[in-house]
Amino acid sequence: MEKLKAELKEMIIRDLKLQGVEPADINDDDPLFEEGLGLDSLDAVELVVLIQKHFDVQIEDMDEGREAFA
Amino acid sequence: MTGIKKRLEALGHGVFYLFLLVGGQGGAYLLLFPVVLVYVSTSRAIHRRLGSYIRHRFPGAGGVTRFFHVFRLLLSFARVLVDRGWLGLKKGARLTGDFDNSELLLAELRRGRGLVLLTAHVGNWQTALAHIDLLGIRVNSLMHYAEDEVAKHFFDLKDGGPSFNIIRNDGFMGGMVEATAALSRGEVVTIMADRYAGGPGVEVDFLGEKARFPAAAYGLAGATGAPVAVLLAAKTGRRNYCLHVWDLIEVKRERGGGYGQFAPAAARFARAVEAYLREYPWQWYNFFDFWNPAVDRGRAGKGVRKYGKA
Repeated sequence: MEKLKAELKEMIIRDLKLQGVEPADINDDDPLFEEGLGLDSLDAVELVVLIQKHFDVQIEDMDEGREAFA
Repeated sequence: MTGIKKRLEALGHGVFYLFLLVGGQGGAYLLLFPVVLVYVSTSRAIHRRLGSYIRHRFPGAGGVTRFFHVFRLLLSFARVLVDRGWLGLKKGARLTGDFDNSELLLAELRRGRGLVLLTAHVGNWQTALAHIDLLGIRVNSLMHYAEDEVAKHFFDLKDGGPSFNIIRNDGFMGGMVEATAALSRGEVVTIMADRYAGGPGVEVDFLGEKARFPAAAYGLAGATGAPVAVLLAAKTGRRNYCLHVWDLIEVKRERGGGYGQFAPAAARFARAVEAYLREYPWQWYNFFDFWNPAVDRGRAGKGVRKYGKA
């Protein structure tokens, strides 16, 4: 589980090109959007695509999205 | 909308629908002429609302000519409203449509990348959307869907309801998650791409001046790899409409590059709408100052970012 979390943090930083942040800076319970990492709707689209590509998991609707990205 | 205004609007619609039932489409068209003429002659508000477009589309037009353009535009819009009511109310009523280069869309769909279909508030777009099922694949419309509007969408009036799935843009992340999933399944997502109402946007030249256009559609296409088609509908006769693909766009995107990178794609969309308006100048239905809309631009195109982005 810890390995998966680390992979996800690395993927978010690398693929969404977050600047000046290391995986260790992101707490497990940090929200991704708005007051958390400050990601926007374009990042949400990119995350959905990335998660499908890397983990073969399809996020289908806003209820799943809200839960997955909370 | 206030209760009284809503009731008055409902009464107006009711009277008009009654007239449609008695006089049919042709009768309603005849009634429109004097009604629109009186309205255009007495309402300053309509000239204010349309003045900006008329100045941009017909630069140099004098007072009388501008009046004529406002009249033509409003008459054209009123006829589309009549068509919508007539199609909903009259059993067996139908418009005949031409989809003159639909093979372009079908070829893109066969590639299995999904398709972002951009349209605009021009022509009889709602009627055209209601007939989009001819693509033979599930169509999703990312839109603001006001269930309590008195002026129902045409597809609400159609037998069996809309022929497409509605993704509400007031949901989580503006419905982008569901739209992404639909494109991943190779489906079509339609988006109205002309009217900026806050959120991500980019400024591009449009009819001689910078105007702000929504950018979310290009982000969706860029992230998923789906092509973008500009599909605009025009009313070409009393009972005819024409669907035409005005442009096909491959959106280039750099991951993490933000919405600003989509300005070239939005500019292509704006060029396509300009080309449409050269052919159908009175089928533009954005009744506000398009170049200076009263929307909050404070956070347009920006995320609130804790760490910043390259």
